[in-house]
This record gives sequence, C-alpha cells and structure tokens, in this order.
Amino acid sequence: MSRVGRKALGRAWRQMGEDMWLQAVAVSTLTVALAIMGAYLTLCLNLGNAASRLLTGPTLLVVLSPSAGAERGQELALELSRLSGVASTRFVNKDQALVRFRRQLGPQAQLLDDLEVNPLPDGVELVLQPGAVAGPQLAARIKNLAGVAEVVSGRPWLKRLERALAAGGDLAVALGILLFLGVVLVASNTVRLAVHVRRRQLELMVLVGASSSYMRLPYLVEAVLQGIMAAALASGLLWTLFNLLAAPAALPLGLRLGEVLSFPGLLPVALAALAVLAGVLGGFLGVGRTLRPREMV
Amino acid sequence: MIRLEQVTKLYPHRKEPALKQVSLKIPPGQFVYLTGPSGAGKTTLLRLLYGAELPSHGRVVVGGADLSRLAPGKLPLLRRRLGLVFQDFRLLPGRSVFENVALSLEVAGVARRTIERRVGEVLEQVKLGDMANAPADTLSGGEQQRVALARALAPGPDLILADEPTGNLDPDNALAMMRLLVGDYVGGATVLVATHDPTLLSLVRGARLVHLERGRLEEVG
Repeated sequence: MSRVGRKALGRAWRQMGEDMWLQAVAVSTLTVALAIMGAYLTLCLNLGNAASRLLTGPTLLVVLSPSAGAERGQELALELSRLSGVASTRFVNKDQALVRFRRQLGPQAQLLDDLEVNPLPDGVELVLQPGAVAGPQLAARIKNLAGVAEVVSGRPWLKRLERALAAGGDLAVALGILLFLGVVLVASNTVRLAVHVRRRQLELMVLVGASSSYMRLPYLVEAVLQGIMAAALASGLLWTLFNLLAAPAALPLGLRLGEVLSFPGLLPVALAALAVLAGVLGGFLGVGRTLRPREMV
Repeated sequence: MIRLEQVTKLYPHRKEPALKQVSLKIPPGQFVYLTGPSGAGKTTLLRLLYGAELPSHGRVVVGGADLSRLAPGKLPLLRRRLGLVFQDFRLLPGRSVFENVALSLEVAGVARRTIERRVGEVLEQVKLGDMANAPADTLSGGEQQRVALARALAPGPDLILADEPTGNLDPDNALAMMRLLVGDYVGGATVLVATHDPTLLSLVRGARLVHLERGRLEEVG
C-alpha cells in the first residue's frame, strides 16, 4: 500500500474510533440494507437453481404396461435414446419409483406403509436436447412401441416456465440494480452525516491548506470499511435467519424448507464485494461538493 | 506580498457593498494594522486574502497569485504559505495541543519526524513547551490563542493574517499575544492584524496603519 493510502487508512480508522455512535448508526443502517440485498440474492439463486433442476429434468415419461417387465424396460430405454432430439434416457422400475415417492413425501411417507401392492408402474424417463420439441408426433410414435402404456409430457408447462423465467430474470436483474442503488444511497447518506458531524474539523483543515483529496480519501476508506463490517454482520444475520427458518418448516409433500433452499456459500464474499463497491460510489456521492476548499470556509 | 486593486465585494443580502473599491499594497515583511469598527469590512478583506471569498470586482493578488484566477486545486497550496489566527481560536476540541499544532504540517504531507521537531520548536516559542500533551480545550483563553498562533507559525508562513486575535483575551494576554506576533518568531513574515482595539496600536513601533470605514480604506500612517 502506498504512503498516501496508509495515511488515509490510519486517519479513517482514527476518525471512526472518535465517533463510535456515528459508526454504530452507519454500520447498522448498512447492515439492514445489505441484509435485504443478501436475502434477495439468496432467493434469486434458489429460484434459479430450482428452475434449472426442473428444466433439465425429465421432459417425457414413458409409462410401461404391467406386462412389459424390467427387461423390456431396459431395451426400450436404449431404443428411445437413439431417437433424434433425445439427450438421455433412464429406466426407473416400480420399486425405484416408490422409493423416490416415499422420499418426496418425507414425514408423511408412513401413509405408504399400508399399501399391500406397489401401485406405481415401471417407466422410462426421457430428457430431450435443448431446443428439441416433444410434440404430439413424437409422443404418438413412442406410444406405438411395444410395451408402452402411456406417454406423459411435461413440456407444455415447462415451456411456459421457461418463458416466465426469461421475463422474470430481466425483472430480477432490474430489481437487483434498484436494491444496489438503495445500498449506495444509504452509504452516501452515512458519509454525508459523517461530514456534517465533523464539519468544524474539516473547515479548519481547509483553512490550514488541506487539499480536497486529503479530506476526501479517509471518507472513502471509512465508507468501504463500514461496508465490509456491515457485509459481515448482514451475512451472519442472514445465515442465522436461514437456519432458524429452514429447520422446522415443513412444506407440502413433506418437503423441508432447508431441502428446497440452500444458503449460498459465497454470499458473504458477494455481499462484501457489493459493500466495497457501494462504499466507493456512496463515498464519492456523499462527499460530493461538500469538501471543496473554497466552499467550506 | 499583497496587492488589492479596486476591490469591491457585494453580498446578495446586503444593499451596501462590504468593500468599496479598495486598493492596497503590502510589501513582504511589513507589519500592518487594519483598524475599523465592527462591520467596517475587516473580516471580509481578510477572507478575500485567504481565498474564502472572491471579489465582486477588482483583483486580489497574494504572494503573486491572482485569487480570482487561481485554480481550485492550487488554493490549498497558497493557504499553506499563510498563517491564520482567529478571535475564536478555532482549535480541534478533544485533541491535544501537539495535534492541533501538527495539523497545519500534516495536511502539507510533512514527515512525522519533522513535524515532531517543528511543533516542539513553535510550542517553545509560544511558551507552551510543557503542555504539548494537554487537551487543547482545557487550556485558558490566552493559552488557546497561543496554540492557534503556534499552528499558524508551524509551517513558516510568508503571510500571517490575524482577525481580532486579542478579541477574547484579557489585557495581559493580549499584550503577550501581540509580542509574539512582532517578535523574531514570525521569521520575517508579512503580518496583517485586523483589530478594533486602539490600545494595541502603540505596541508595534513603525507598524503601518490602514483604516476601514464602511467598506472604504484610508491610509492613516
């Protein structure tokens, strides 16, 4: 670090220590702003992951007739994998389907204990290549194959989901930018407040020949340091909230919130990076015209 | 050192100009008293000299720099050549005497070791050598004004501008303050002292006297 940078850091650290209440106000306000931003990022990330899982999951389910048997199922999976537009296939026998269903039911899985016979059929799951269309012709062609009882397509609603996600993605980015601008505004206001509180000291500095950069730099450093502290606190707050919410909440089908949502491991780093950027921008905006030598005295 | 040419200063909220066509030349090293009643324009004239205001008309030249044409970035460099003393001391509360005096050197980027040496010297000159670590706001008025003077003297200024420097001091402290301003301590700097106290005028032999009355300047002696 350069000599000027070290001195600015030292002065910023010192002036932060002199106004503890001001720091408390600044850091807590920034923490709230960053926590909102972090919650939003977590939500977006989880929605994105969920959508991605749905879109890359099976898009066609080929239900086998009860008489077809596992061997025919395996053959069919191989046969279907050779069709154009098919990315992958997987044979799922009725036992595997029941285990999966049981897992999805979670605590309610005991409802299945009373079943004497497994009612689920054998099936083959198809994942289509991106852009491939699971139209009625393909479904009809598959249905004519030996051992096939039914073809269930998830494509129509997946298409709608894809379109909704594309539109929602743009909206999410716009909302994210707005939230970030909100954080910048909070950072700039905390700097403005600090300048106001120390106005007498700054006026004196101007009178003895302090340059604009000499006065501004510690405020930028201070804004960045406050941002980093607030990012750490916001990450801790979100992690705690996430764990409190994730543990007991059960969703329909026996799913748990913690199984559907995940806390992004890189969130503290992302929040710190955003806080540094917001601190620099907010610092510039907050100091603005207020620290010009001729206008201060 | 100082040149004012037909300087007029108008304020938006006042009908009468604060300064009316003031012209003044002060060569380097001269000691000048600027007298006049309250509201005569003394403070305005000083503010023009340290660049806190710009003239409405005319030119203000300090140390060869025309303040109307001076780039904003150059103003701090000019102010580092000035020593300013105010009636209300303008010290940093909660900071020590040393820190207050060191401020004028720190902003100029002077090395720490040099600051320590120089601050020690000026504090000895103003008889506050043993009070360097005392909080400035716990000192008496006279002592606080000496701290302010030490801060002004620390960078070795070419020009000292003092606005009613004895205004808040008792007669003994006022006398001590003026002795410091005319002694060897100022190192040959030009000194301009604005005051409305006539008792101070006899303290400096051979000092030049200029008088301001309702914004107009007249040479007295």
